[in-house]
Amino acid sequence: MKTYDVVIIGAGSVGLPLAHSLGARGLSVVVVEKLPSVGQGQNKAAIGGIRATHSDRAKICIGNASLDFIRRLKPEFGQDVDYLEGGYLFPAYDVNIAANLKNLLPTQQSFGLNINWIEPEEVRERVPGIKAEGLLGGTFSPNDGHLSSLKLGGAFYRLARQAGVEFLFETEVVGFEVEKGKVRAVLTNRGEINTGQVVNAAGGFGREVGLMVGTDLPVYPDSHEAGITEPVQPFFQPMIVDIQPDEHSDNYYFYQNVAGGVVFCITPRPKRMGTDRRSTSEFLPMVIPRMLNLYPRLRNLKVRRVWRGLYPMTPDGKPIVGFDRDVEGFFHAIGMCGQGLMLGPGLAEMITLAIAEGKEEPEVFEDLSPYRDFSGEELLK
Amino acid sequence: MRITKHPVLDVRDGKKVPFTFDGETLMGYEGEMVSSALFANGIRSFSIHTVGDAPQGIFCANGQCAQCTVIINGQPVKSCITPLREGMKVKTLVHYPTLPEDDEWRPSFLPRELSCQVLIIGGGPSGLTASLELADLGFSVILVDDKDRLGGKLVLQTHKFFGSMADCYAGTRGTDIGHILEEEVRKHEKITILANSTVAGIYSDGKAGIYEDQARYTHVSFEALIVATGARERSLIFPGNDLPGVYGAGAFQTLVNRDLVKSSERVLIVGCGNVGLIGAYHALQAGISVVGIIDIAPQISGYKVHADKIKRMGVPIYLNHTIVGVTGDGKVERATIAQVDEHWNPLVETAKTFAVDTVLIAVGLTSADEFYTAGQEANFPVLKTGDAQEIAEASSAMMGGRIVGRQMAQILGREIDIPAEWLEKAEVLKSLPGESFVRNHTLPKEDGWEPILHCYQEIPCNPCTTVCTYDSIQLKGKLGTIMDLPHFEGRCIGCAKCVLICPGLAITLVRKTTEPGWAEVILPHEFDHGYKAGNELVLRDCDGNSIGTGTVTATRFNKKHRTHLITMTVPEALAKDVVGILVQDASVVAPLEEAELHHLPDNAIVCRCERISLGEIREFVRENQVKDLNQLKLPRVAMGACGGKTCLDLLPRVLVQLGVPRQEIRPSSLRPLAVEIPMKAIANQGGEIS
Repeated sequence: MKTYDVVIIGAGSVGLPLAHSLGARGLSVVVVEKLPSVGQGQNKAAIGGIRATHSDRAKICIGNASLDFIRRLKPEFGQDVDYLEGGYLFPAYDVNIAANLKNLLPTQQSFGLNINWIEPEEVRERVPGIKAEGLLGGTFSPNDGHLSSLKLGGAFYRLARQAGVEFLFETEVVGFEVEKGKVRAVLTNRGEINTGQVVNAAGGFGREVGLMVGTDLPVYPDSHEAGITEPVQPFFQPMIVDIQPDEHSDNYYFYQNVAGGVVFCITPRPKRMGTDRRSTSEFLPMVIPRMLNLYPRLRNLKVRRVWRGLYPMTPDGKPIVGFDRDVEGFFHAIGMCGQGLMLGPGLAEMITLAIAEGKEEPEVFEDLSPYRDFSGEELLK
Repeated sequence: MRITKHPVLDVRDGKKVPFTFDGETLMGYEGEMVSSALFANGIRSFSIHTVGDAPQGIFCANGQCAQCTVIINGQPVKSCITPLREGMKVKTLVHYPTLPEDDEWRPSFLPRELSCQVLIIGGGPSGLTASLELADLGFSVILVDDKDRLGGKLVLQTHKFFGSMADCYAGTRGTDIGHILEEEVRKHEKITILANSTVAGIYSDGKAGIYEDQARYTHVSFEALIVATGARERSLIFPGNDLPGVYGAGAFQTLVNRDLVKSSERVLIVGCGNVGLIGAYHALQAGISVVGIIDIAPQISGYKVHADKIKRMGVPIYLNHTIVGVTGDGKVERATIAQVDEHWNPLVETAKTFAVDTVLIAVGLTSADEFYTAGQEANFPVLKTGDAQEIAEASSAMMGGRIVGRQMAQILGREIDIPAEWLEKAEVLKSLPGESFVRNHTLPKEDGWEPILHCYQEIPCNPCTTVCTYDSIQLKGKLGTIMDLPHFEGRCIGCAKCVLICPGLAITLVRKTTEPGWAEVILPHEFDHGYKAGNELVLRDCDGNSIGTGTVTATRFNKKHRTHLITMTVPEALAKDVVGILVQDASVVAPLEEAELHHLPDNAIVCRCERISLGEIREFVRENQVKDLNQLKLPRVAMGACGGKTCLDLLPRVLVQLGVPRQEIRPSSLRPLAVEIPMKAIANQGGEIS
């Protein structure tokens, strides 16, 4: 039986770019996926925002690496993923929110982020028709953007196969064979795969995969619902994030994608824990009035489709990335907290370096260690 | 172009109002659908697609797709579900619409919350009878239907129904059955009707989201769900299938029979099931020529009596034929057909091209049962009925609705029986045609009338036996059900009740005349005519052969059945064979002198909303080893307004043709919303409804 250098569990937002990156370095790689094709888990549920605008050092660093790679996709790799650098705009209608956003700026800028406070006039220029009353301004990061998660998944799938990566679909991991503290094989419902290196990129099911080798990592999915409208002619470019909570929800965000549809998503309160991905009746009446309150012009847009995706959360809102301490040849890249799409491309190169050369970017690997103290809290989710 | 004379339907009369289309002032009936007003004014193209600047014509006429979208007063709307108002400014939608700068803040309201024990989706034959059954048992029912008028597709059927009179109004026209059931449901106090309202989603928390009155968003909580959403028409992949003028037989019925619009001059029909056959009949009644009906199968799948009727009227049926392509400058102008070999490949040398303006697709139906799946996923009691459960005739749907109503009552804890005979009848009513027989008819030996029953195939139908005053018509056969063939024996007074009620127009009355060598026949006729005594007409036998001529001696019109009876003197030798008269002249059905042979199969459109061709899909499937239909969402297949209602049904065959084993193909996941809803309606910005 064939032995692979690396077996990646999960053909999703993290596994796909990583497969390409490892394959491109000449390693023999197989991706094992329980669903029938690529990106059918949370990848396709991602609404498509790509940003480096975080409040945390590691995530800013990975986000920047992701954006760098995504910008190269079209010119260098010939892959059009509908990327548009429309920026992220956090408008403020509340003095406290304005103050919080402004307070974050120095930290964000110190990590090299291009982000600034913009005045109400500029907000209205960038988002024509946004509610003027009470608008105090907002932060704007012009180098963030958005893309089609479907196209990104498809692009990495294509690139990975070109790099010789193999894929096994409808193949579910049921366990591992560990010999003398070292991974020897991956056991699946379709037989075993020999390898000395496993990457757990199982997203919302990453904790279950870790438990198969006895490592219990705190990844607990909650879920968000999202929707998309019919396409119309372009009328605004940035991702708009309203972080002011209301009675039933925290932030919500929306943008117009390159295909013309407005994509939107909301964070419900309380959180909806678990892996249920069926749509609920609560979503539209929760999000649409908030969007129309902020941006009345959206009222004539027709909502086309809704869906629900998982946010594999960790206690401190940061991903879990790093080698397992107890099982040699076992790497975890899970708990992306709903940001797998925007972190995956950046992580791919860093994980590849770690696996192929043993080089671990300290800023990232210390902060995201599976064995860190999880008690911190993220400022800007 | 409107239908100004119809043999069965009352011709429309109403208030005409002016509106504009691309600046030109036109007239239409107030309240009719804008699409029909446009059609009546000769407009067939509603929008210009972003991909390839292709003109888009009507397709479903049923609010399900979005091909009829136009700009009305600045906003994109589906013209087939938008009633015409005076002064509307209608414009061709070119590419994606521009969102109006409608920036004034308005208050939003939460959805109205309604509740019931059983939510029934779909007010067609099965939904109506299921509602009545449950309501009679005391259950509270909310019935949602996306049309103003209940009855579903019944209201589009101008033909008399098959089945039995006792169980499903056999012999009555569908449109009348629709009225009868609607009346009953509307006066029932346990039934709340949400008409003109579309279910957008069945959610996991036990609520349905409803686009109520196409204006606001309403929640209905329910204990149990019955899905009676009917079926969708299947489509076909052939070059030119996206030209305005290619659409389903259902859309045609809507235009012609509901809105009385003369949608075409000459049509070709693809598909020889009952839908295609009846489509031809509806066309002829509306004064539209039918150049032929084609089917790739070697036999007719619809009822033989339907097919015989159509053939007698002068419509050729081409079996073992496929449609090779349709061409025209921005609209259908020509359609080419060809015979197929045993692998269904067209034989070029047999190609025929017809000058037509419309190609009707009637290649079968698929159950629209996604709410049933949603109900199952959400784990609440859910049943489906009618076409949503199994494609069959409306007569069986009515019976099925009653049964499912009782089944739901049982699920909800009511101790009630389902009579065994209901189940037996439901089985019989949904039977496909059975065996065909050769019958030797004889003329009456005595003076006096006798019926000749040109009924040769087992189908579930018996109204002739019910109406005969002397019980002289009885079913006889080996099955012992209403599938058996009727036979005459005994007394006949020539009342012609059997002639008038037969849905197949397959019964004639004959008697000898005093003049030797001649006989008299009475024929049913469902077309307006100007025949007078003395007119000589071409006689047609059961299979549609012209067998000679006869002379009209009298005509009368039966108002109740809206059927003409034509009495003719014919040669005695022909009397037992004549079943009808030619309606459509042979010159109409002749093909063009030269057949068109330049169609490129890869140009056929598979996903209509996003205009994705067969060639593009085949290439993507090959490159990406597609087995999961979800992968095709990347090139946007099924990502358009309709959500894959047409193309998802076509895709498996495309993959199989490329060598993907059918059992390895995985279905595409379906998500709400079932129809697009404006945000202002979801936020109830039209105001709060208590």
